[in-house]
Amino acid sequence: MDSRYEVEFKVRGDDFLAAGEASNQIKETLIMLGVPSPISRRASVITYEAEMNLVIHSGGGILRAIITPEKLTIEAKDQGPGIPDLDLAMREGFSTASDKVREMGFGAGMGLPNIKRNSDCLQIDSLIGKGTILTATVFFHQGEGNRG
Amino acid sequence: METGIKVLEGSCKGCVNCIKSCPTEALRVVDGRVKILSELCIDCGECLRSCREKALALDEDDWDLIRSHGPVVLMADPTFCAQFSHYWSPGLVRKALASLEAKDLFDQAAKAFDLAAFATARQVEEASKESLPLISVYCPAVVRLIQVRFPELLHRLVRTENPLETGTLLWRRQNGSNEGVILVTPCSAKVMLVRGPVGRGTSMMDHVVSVKRLARDLLAAGPKVDGTGTDPVGSRWLAWALRGGESRHVKAFSRKPLTTMAVSGLRNTIDLLQDLELGRLKGVDFVECRVCDLGCIGGIGNAESRFLSELRLSHQPVEWNVTESEKTELSTLYETGVWALEQPIQPRPRPSLADTLDEAMKKLKTMQAVYAELPHIDCGACGRPSCRALAEDVVRGEGEVTDCVFKLRERIAILGEEITSLSGKLPHAFHERKHAK
Ligand SMILES: Nc1ncnc2c1ncn2[C@@H]1O[C@H](COP(=O)(O)OP(=O)(O)OP(=O)(O)O)[C@@H](O)[C@H]1O
Ligand code: SF4
Ligand SMILES: [Mg+2]
Repeated sequence: MDSRYEVEFKVRGDDFLAAGEASNQIKETLIMLGVPSPISRRASVITYEAEMNLVIHSGGGILRAIITPEKLTIEAKDQGPGIPDLDLAMREGFSTASDKVREMGFGAGMGLPNIKRNSDCLQIDSLIGKGTILTATVFFHQGEGNRG
Repeated sequence: METGIKVLEGSCKGCVNCIKSCPTEALRVVDGRVKILSELCIDCGECLRSCREKALALDEDDWDLIRSHGPVVLMADPTFCAQFSHYWSPGLVRKALASLEAKDLFDQAAKAFDLAAFATARQVEEASKESLPLISVYCPAVVRLIQVRFPELLHRLVRTENPLETGTLLWRRQNGSNEGVILVTPCSAKVMLVRGPVGRGTSMMDHVVSVKRLARDLLAAGPKVDGTGTDPVGSRWLAWALRGGESRHVKAFSRKPLTTMAVSGLRNTIDLLQDLELGRLKGVDFVECRVCDLGCIGGIGNAESRFLSELRLSHQPVEWNVTESEKTELSTLYETGVWALEQPIQPRPRPSLADTLDEAMKKLKTMQAVYAELPHIDCGACGRPSCRALAEDVVRGEGEVTDCVFKLRERIAILGEEITSLSGKLPHAFHERKHAK
């Protein structure tokens, strides 16, 4: 029961100055817990990309990391516009980011594919006009899940 | 683990000025004395700059003792040649050093720096687009900072050995000599090139003395040297003493145009690494960071004002056009691999709170609870750089909550109240009598 650690951050939409802070703190937490560096590296990519999607596409939301002795779950929840075509969104290079955002170096359409590559399980539930919930899992030990 | 910094116990007043200057929170003041957590220290020298009592110093060897054993061989950092107004070129510094019975390795250094730039240019040219920008490893403090705080960036570090090390190696190969070599260092970070190198087992150099120490001796001796004629020593390597010099040198050897970025100063370095970690530096091929202001001339172990050094270096003529014969020689040397680090550079994250994840999670919760009770003003009076650091030390068993003066005062207040209420109570015997009255 006790073996669960959770941190949660509110991520504000379009706040590019604060962007990256939540993922940074999640990373610090993982290091304190002694999560091995290859795993925390994968976790960093996931949290950072999920956080940036909250900032850029959803008007903000909640980023949460749930740690148990077996796995790390990253959850990004928003009440933004939703993703109309998930298969399309998952494609490398697909992006609806504005020119302004692209000028800042985002919008390469690599975020979701990167999340996919670095997580053992990935689930995205999205409803147009209601919002998106992204849940990515990384197992701490080999063989507890298939890398997809 | 060692550091390039030593604490002069007698001078430390326990003032806690230094602890906040440390970018990795590696300092504590315990029992009125500063203590360095060596596993976190990156040898940047910020604490030396912040200490008014001069209780922190570069951990160098005893120059007088070394000298007393006879002639010496010096591998001098490029900053050394920017310390003097009257010995304004390496050739003149060489002549002056001869009067101290010191032999310089300037020629080997010039070659090794060329080789390092050449090898770095090759690595940048051959890197895949996603792995760019590559990062310089010339400043050992930057390497440690990346090991400790930015392990995700380790794969971007070039595999180029520090040219001061390579120069010594070249000299040893040339001469078959095993004479002791003294590194003349501008900083605490480079002390570690000799004492605990990263990316190789042991150093080819044997001792380390600060630029300041040697420059003072040379100035005191004040040998007269003749400054006519052209300088026999190459000058490109001197550019590395200034911010941007390495990048310039790498570009000179690159076969295609490169976009490079050079920053100096600790804060700029951290900001840049953060940007890099967040993937914000697309389109840059090579990044040079120096933790010292203006580059190595800003190192804490120099004698001369960094501003004067900068002025002097910027007036030095530098031959950036590399001749074909030089290139041929370098490419032969490049093929031998003598320029490369022996080992990959490993991450050095702070130790976790406990050995098992389960234990660590419990401790992290306790830590949050302890932290929640602290005043969050990071006053430093507990000897920790922040309230968070105290909370961490408490759960690691390296401190008490009452190390916090505010918590201590609370405890005293509670204790005081208990004493007052206790003092109001009369001993049983008196009690009886009072009632009897
Ligand atoms: N939380 C979200 N809410 C709404 N739409 C989203 C959300 N996350 C992603 N999308 C949509 O999916 C597309 C692809 O996302 P992805 O993260 O792969 O690329 P990107 O964010 O556009 O660019 P990059 O991540 O490379 O900066 C986005 O352009 C956007 O249209
Ligand atoms: S910038 Fe140069 S002088 Fe300063 S710590 Fe790094 S290597 Fe040393
Ligand atoms: Mg994205």
